[in-house]
Amino acid sequence: MAHPHVWVTMKSEVVYAADGSVTGVRHAWTFDDMFSAFATQGLDAKKKGEFTREELAPLAEVNVTSLKEFDYFTKAQVDGKKAAFNEPVDYYLDYKDNVLTLNFTLPLKMPAKPKKLLLDIYDPTYFVDFTFADTDPVALRGAPAECKLTVARPNDATADSRQVGETFFNSLTPSSDYGARFANKISVTCP
Amino acid sequence: MPSGRPRACVEGVKLAVAVAALLLAAGVLDAVLAQTSPFGVGRPVAAPPAPVGDGFAGWIMARQAEFYRNLSATIRAAKADGTALWSLLGLSFVYGVFHAAGPGHGKAVISSYLVANEETWHRGVVLAFASALLQALVAVMLVGVAAVLLHVTAKTMGEAVRWIEIVSYTLIAAVGARLVRTKGRGFLSALRATASPRPALAAAGDAIVPLRDHSHHNDRSHHGERYAGSIHGHDDHHDHSHGAEPADLGGPGGWQRGLAAIVAVGLRPCSGAILVLVFSLAQGLFWAGVAATFVMGLGTALTVAAIATLAVGGRALATKFAAAQSGYGELALRGVEVVAAVLVFTFGILLLMGYMASERMFVM
Repeated sequence: MAHPHVWVTMKSEVVYAADGSVTGVRHAWTFDDMFSAFATQGLDAKKKGEFTREELAPLAEVNVTSLKEFDYFTKAQVDGKKAAFNEPVDYYLDYKDNVLTLNFTLPLKMPAKPKKLLLDIYDPTYFVDFTFADTDPVALRGAPAECKLTVARPNDATADSRQVGETFFNSLTPSSDYGARFANKISVTCP
Repeated sequence: MPSGRPRACVEGVKLAVAVAALLLAAGVLDAVLAQTSPFGVGRPVAAPPAPVGDGFAGWIMARQAEFYRNLSATIRAAKADGTALWSLLGLSFVYGVFHAAGPGHGKAVISSYLVANEETWHRGVVLAFASALLQALVAVMLVGVAAVLLHVTAKTMGEAVRWIEIVSYTLIAAVGARLVRTKGRGFLSALRATASPRPALAAAGDAIVPLRDHSHHNDRSHHGERYAGSIHGHDDHHDHSHGAEPADLGGPGGWQRGLAAIVAVGLRPCSGAILVLVFSLAQGLFWAGVAATFVMGLGTALTVAAIATLAVGGRALATKFAAAQSGYGELALRGVEVVAAVLVFTFGILLLMGYMASERMFVM
């Protein structure tokens, strides 16, 4: 019965190449103030209480390195098949209004042109609580115009999210889906 | 041993099994497998090994999260408004109460320890409060020294916590191993007593030397055990005198032995407390965080004490059955102790392995 100790408010972008294939997902995760204070504890800053991107670079490195073990809390399905990610690129931390935001891009190992792309973002152990930002939580960057985006929050009881849930849960091991109920789902369908 | 009341025996065994199951459940609740921190700083509490239902567990979790979430807002409010400090303390208390119902506070370890070691509820409560107090102290000292004095990074603090954990978990395993050894002998002794009844020797009543080597290789080395420096007399729960005397089979060391358990359980600071402390430090309200941490510990202690009391109560019931008819009842009781002892040991090992598994991931 772990309860969340870290809260993340996220905005994500599904990134497309010029030829219309999905290349990855870019996350911007804003942490809660308690964790932000903890994570920046003891870091040197020229100006007290403020941190530049450069000053936070070592911490960002630690973050993405540690996230690897957790598969970046991001699961991808390309036309029903699990898709793997390469290690994150273009990562950095920003500090604003006393909170940290971690920005990073997860490149798909194999860019694809799926009819249906599913992305689930959650912590199976629910140590971290992921919530989409209230406004514009997900964007498609460079996607073909016909592609349609659906975003489902954990508490959405829409038929669509339930359907996604069932298929997705079946592919998980029983021991790892504890936090699945808190999953944030991104679904992109292209004709 | 004459066992003319097979029904009572069966009941006794049933009860024993129930107590063991209760402990096991507490252990599962404690979800002892440690996990690493996703962001490389900060130590998460243990993760549940299996999905937890919505019901009571889910409710407790939701409350914990809610209280915890409110802590930071209250600390921030306390910066501007002194009266918010009272809210902070109240919130910390309920958070402690609820959080201890979750994993990471050694409920299972303490309960198993108490059952294996035939402790009184009185001692159980003292153990719960002492370990919670120690836990708060460690958190305050860690943040006080590491963050306030040495100004180290969160990463370094996380590493310090990991070392503390290794020591703590090793101690738990050691306490468990010692219990297994002692209780295993008790069980074998009861087994022999069941097979071939003989009169028990009177308890000698001599004070035991703390931590001295235990020598129960034969049944003739009986001595009544008095806990050296114990806060509680030790004569309220084995007034029966058949077969192996529980008093004789208790582990050595009395109060020191309890101390080892307190340290083993209380050494590991709660990650929530550390976050609260560092956050209040960042707000320039370190002392408020310190107060919150101790009040949190008080809440934690209450819950752990309640659970420990339940465990001890279950054991006391089993003892009654055993007293009513030695033989198999006694044997079952000894069996429960062995199971509880094995659980303490297992918790330690699992915790340790959880750490081991996560260590290599911590490339920081």
